[in-house]
Amino acid sequence: MSSLVGFLSLVIAIGINFYLFLSRYIFRFQKQKFNLFIRFSSLLTLLSFFSLMYAYVVSDFSNYNVFQNSHSNKPLIYKISGTWGNHEGSMLLWLSILSIFSFFFSFTKNIDESFQRLTLIIQSLLHILFGLFIVFTSNPFLVNSILVNEGLGLNPILQDPGLAVHPPILYGGYVGYSIVFSIAIAGLFQNTDDEWLYVAKKWSLISWTFLTGGIALGSYWAYYELGWGGWWFWDPVENISLMPWIAGLALVHSLMMVRGEQAIKKWIVFLSILCFSLSVFGTFLVRSGILTSVHSFAADASRGIFILLIFFIVTGFGFLVFLLKEPKKSNALNLLFINKVSALVINNILMIIATLTILLGTIYPIIIEVLYNKRISVGGPYFNLTVIPIMIPGFLLMSIAPILSWQTNKINNSKKYVLAFIVLSVLVLIQSYFLDFNTWGFVGLLLGFWIILASTIAIFSSYKIKINIKFLKIINPHVAHIGVGIAIIGITCSSVFQNELDFNLNEGDKFIVNGKTVLFEKIETTNEINFQSLRGKFLFDIEKNQSKEIEAGKNYYPVSKMITSEAGILHQWNKDIYFILGDQKNNEWFVKVLINPFVSFIWLGVIIMMYSGLIAVSRR
Amino acid sequence: MSLRFQRLLLILLTLVIILSAVLLILYNARENVSYFYTPSEIDNLDIAIDEKIRIGGFVENDSFNKISSSSFKFKITDEKASILVTFNGILPDLFREGQGAVIEGTFVDNDIFNATNVFAKHDENYMPASIKEELKDTGYWNKKYK
Repeated sequence: MSSLVGFLSLVIAIGINFYLFLSRYIFRFQKQKFNLFIRFSSLLTLLSFFSLMYAYVVSDFSNYNVFQNSHSNKPLIYKISGTWGNHEGSMLLWLSILSIFSFFFSFTKNIDESFQRLTLIIQSLLHILFGLFIVFTSNPFLVNSILVNEGLGLNPILQDPGLAVHPPILYGGYVGYSIVFSIAIAGLFQNTDDEWLYVAKKWSLISWTFLTGGIALGSYWAYYELGWGGWWFWDPVENISLMPWIAGLALVHSLMMVRGEQAIKKWIVFLSILCFSLSVFGTFLVRSGILTSVHSFAADASRGIFILLIFFIVTGFGFLVFLLKEPKKSNALNLLFINKVSALVINNILMIIATLTILLGTIYPIIIEVLYNKRISVGGPYFNLTVIPIMIPGFLLMSIAPILSWQTNKINNSKKYVLAFIVLSVLVLIQSYFLDFNTWGFVGLLLGFWIILASTIAIFSSYKIKINIKFLKIINPHVAHIGVGIAIIGITCSSVFQNELDFNLNEGDKFIVNGKTVLFEKIETTNEINFQSLRGKFLFDIEKNQSKEIEAGKNYYPVSKMITSEAGILHQWNKDIYFILGDQKNNEWFVKVLINPFVSFIWLGVIIMMYSGLIAVSRR
Repeated sequence: MSLRFQRLLLILLTLVIILSAVLLILYNARENVSYFYTPSEIDNLDIAIDEKIRIGGFVENDSFNKISSSSFKFKITDEKASILVTFNGILPDLFREGQGAVIEGTFVDNDIFNATNVFAKHDENYMPASIKEELKDTGYWNKKYK
């Protein structure tokens, strides 16, 4: 029953959008009515999504999708999040989020009515395209043709709280760019004034903040779930999310420097189209199964071709409008060698090159396979050695860019900065001399600390300190950059100075990690609701009274006959101690311990960046 | 510095950035790309002893051998040829005999491949054996299921 409701409301919502699209040219609606129709179709799409969720919650196995991806003895949270733990459900989530964005956009006040309507019409077109995609290739409401009273279960790897939050937030970012895309296209068509730039700024900041959160959550999930001790693997699925993120960052920065220059307006439109194209392209690459990845989602060629078609329609349409329509009114770009505009131009160039580098590395295997019929894989070192050097000048630039002037070549307090930089370099050099010297470590630490230091100096020497929203908005660029600096320190330390220790242990053995004695207490097996768990229990720092307990082990899921690793992580502010329980022979267990210094700084940096995104969105 | 000169400087700087990016890409693409082969392809190829490659195939049945809790021996096969692999470390959770796996590493001599990384394929479409049988019996078997 719920499947029927879901399917019907999905189809009616598509129908309404189709009707709206036609009505613009055939009938004339009052604005009020038009917005009502948009909101109604959004609510119907959400209804459709919630009926699928309902089918999951009550374990309605007459729905084929539920039968394939759920099991009645799963905990409730995984029944709910299982809704989007599969291809069909996740595409419905995608469409629902698209609707939510249209819904909220229809409430925007103080903007030109016809501009708002045009934006929503373009959103409707996207809704129709993705809606048809769901109905024809990935319908989550198919009826199960056999009578069963039990489902096949959700992939155990996905049975994790990460599934509940990571996809919806990540999609908030991907799909958020749809509204930026629609705004940019509508802006080109209407071409009245620069109003659309301010609207675009708000929505691109929202999308970027969501995308940042989504990527960070995904990488934190990978960090504790995959049990490899790393949080970023340059895997195609990760690269795909990173590309719109960097392009979106370029977009957000470009929107800051709009002062009526035509060249920049054109560039903004280009970036808006690019961000959404990259999002759709990412979906195509992931869903078509062309790329092999550790995340590897189910692949189906017909879906891939359909999404590829949508990609060509969206990108082709976008760039065609971009070429045919020119933004009006122009001021020449005032490029001095050292001013804010130049810094932002260079920053944008670097970001776009970085995006292209990642794109090239990600699709290079496909190109080689088509041309030479050879299969290759491009490893992490390629990305590390190309993307990072390209970004380094950008990182240097961002430390001082916010205090550069818009018009002149002058930098205030330049001596202070030079002095601070020299002192800092010497300090970092001394520090790295006492640790093992490592070029990447030296460069990363210097950059990270320099960005933090320069931004802090800028905050304290350029403005009067006050505690109110206006002040927070003024120093916001510096705060965002401090977040980046902190993240760079975390990234550098956790990757360059990671320490790996291997042990072969019997129960009751003591061993030394990082100067502290650890006791391998025992192996314990227990039965949970839908899995059996095997845990190695460790007591960290037993010489102290308050020793910490760490559990690392595996879960065995009988429904799917699968095993998942559960790393045991002891979080400290300056390091994570990461335990992985390996295999055993004759009761001797293999235990790998990784010491990851300053991982927490990465998440702290990300949180500061997201905070800055929110502050920038908020009204004065 | 005149405005025009400054603008020229900026454009030159941009060109230098783009050029160095291209050089970086070309250089790194040569160094950090590993080729992917199947075991039977390797027989006909001349692969240097320490060239880093990837091999994809199935873990041969009854070939898995635990030497200690952290070192393993097994064979990767594509049913025409098979290769003996040694590995030190922790095998992925999905690794088992008869399942697909990709290994990355180098040949230590002509016959033994030392894997530095082992990947087992994650997939959301798996099927519990009991239901698989049931589906086969009732004729609702779909080839997509493994």
